[in-house]
Amino acid sequence: MIETIAMAESNRELVPGYRLLTLNSKEDIDVLPGQFAMLKTRVSFEPLLRRALAVYRVYNSRRISFLYQVLGRGTEALSQVRPGGEVEALLPLGNSWPIEQSNGRNAIVVAGGIGSASVLTLCEELKRARVDTQVFFGAATERDAVGCGLDDFRALGVPLTLTTDDGSLGEKGFVTMPLEHRLRKTGGTGTVIYACGPWAMMRRVADTAAQFDVQCLVSLEAPMGCGFGVCVGCVVAVKTDGPLAYGAYKRVCTDGSIFAAETIRWEVNAMAH
Amino acid sequence: MDMPEPVHHDPRLAVQIAGIRFNNPVIGASGTFGYGLEFAELINLNKLGGFVTKGLSARPLPGNPPPRIVETHGGMLNAIGLQNIGARAFIEEKLPLLRGYDTRVIANVFGYSDDEYIEAITILNDGEGIAAYELNISCPNVKEGGIVIGNSPAAAARLTARAKRATARPLIVKLSPNVTDVGQIGRAIVEAGADCLSLINTIVGMAVDVNTRRPRLSYGTGGLSGPAIRPIAVRMVHDVARIVDVPLIGIGGIASATDALEFIIAGATAIQIGTANYYDPTVTMKVIDGLSAYCRGQTIDIPSLTGSIKAE
Repeated sequence: MIETIAMAESNRELVPGYRLLTLNSKEDIDVLPGQFAMLKTRVSFEPLLRRALAVYRVYNSRRISFLYQVLGRGTEALSQVRPGGEVEALLPLGNSWPIEQSNGRNAIVVAGGIGSASVLTLCEELKRARVDTQVFFGAATERDAVGCGLDDFRALGVPLTLTTDDGSLGEKGFVTMPLEHRLRKTGGTGTVIYACGPWAMMRRVADTAAQFDVQCLVSLEAPMGCGFGVCVGCVVAVKTDGPLAYGAYKRVCTDGSIFAAETIRWEVNAMAH
Repeated sequence: MDMPEPVHHDPRLAVQIAGIRFNNPVIGASGTFGYGLEFAELINLNKLGGFVTKGLSARPLPGNPPPRIVETHGGMLNAIGLQNIGARAFIEEKLPLLRGYDTRVIANVFGYSDDEYIEAITILNDGEGIAAYELNISCPNVKEGGIVIGNSPAAAARLTARAKRATARPLIVKLSPNVTDVGQIGRAIVEAGADCLSLINTIVGMAVDVNTRRPRLSYGTGGLSGPAIRPIAVRMVHDVARIVDVPLIGIGGIASATDALEFIIAGATAIQIGTANYYDPTVTMKVIDGLSAYCRGQTIDIPSLTGSIKAE
């Protein structure tokens, strides 16, 4: 974990509402797939807090990028960063996708919306490890799919099933539909599912995985104060002996962001999402 | 663990609180500094005046359900609900590692009843390396203890007197701003034996999601912190400094040396930095350097600045 001021190389709009921010660091950063950073434009109290963004791509130890959707005050401020602008960054943060879980098995990667940002490096690693991988990529519309990095996923050359909510590209419907179809067909034996996307999607993926007795890992998102474990603001309810037991809540930032899906109390956390 | 190099401390920054020497007046605030060790990778803990632990209770607490935080303008609301590992785990797991650092460790203590506060202090008394206790009678995010005690001069004085009897260590009591007359409560606590007052804790606030028409925090309300509350905190330190004769630790939205100096000039002996640690994890180091530069430029030391505000 390092605290640094990185320089923006570019901050390119892919389609309206989606951008790719490429940063250059003066220090080496060792980022693992699925890790994230806390980012904020330099010297600004509006917004106050940094924003947690998944590392999308690692080009080398000093050059990384973040794919993000402009959704609120934090990402709006980041969208204003010009090439050469300074970005305060704390990284790398969180645990990482356990690639080794796929040894001798096949992998399914489910990317929903901008959750795609957390799994591109995972897909690259799975490909490098020669794991038989299938990507299920869902977005609201064709434009959102492009904004969520569809072209980069297609360039990997990994089998990809695409859905859009409105049917403007790929199959019409939610990404969980072809996933369920696939598991019904194959039974899911010897499969590991990695998922990142909207809460409702991950909950449905977790339910489906449980139904077919498939191991499932999810990368969760939560509003974060600090990103390194001290504010205890980003917690998620997990299964324990009782709801009031110590340990009933885990920090998404340092205990995650990647969790085994069956450990999450999906119904409790629904209000937060 | 790699131990950072010892540091040269600017003697102009040294302050005394209840007989305890702090190398400088910059202290990490409870709830924003974890158990200190989380910052070991980010700052030189040996350079820090001290820090206050996350509120410790006699037994571990799970905290409130999410969502627990929401950002507002110039600040944030939190309703963590005092999730903590418990006093016993702190002295067994954290304190031995903290003893390797040259910084003052203040244990923030919480309970749902007077007895539970005393129980936590009794457990912590066994721990070597705790410089002082900060009694948290001002947490707004729990339904018993905390603010319920801090809002009543009689209840606050009663608990302070019991806590004072339970330990030989200096006792700091953290005041709530959510009261009509903070000076009245501060005076009652000092008369009951407190060695120092820290102020302010967070200000109770609320944010509403207009789409769901629900509060944005699961607890409903939360404690407002950050730069937005600083003028309120400076005013309260100024008011309380005129009433009590114990040292004060100023808290509330401090993010720079200038912010810290406002509190010191208004009457604080030392200051705590809270929310700024989240968005600027090295802020404490910057504030120490800034205070040093100010003292050098003004040829003055921090103790001489305390309460040096000129009459209106």
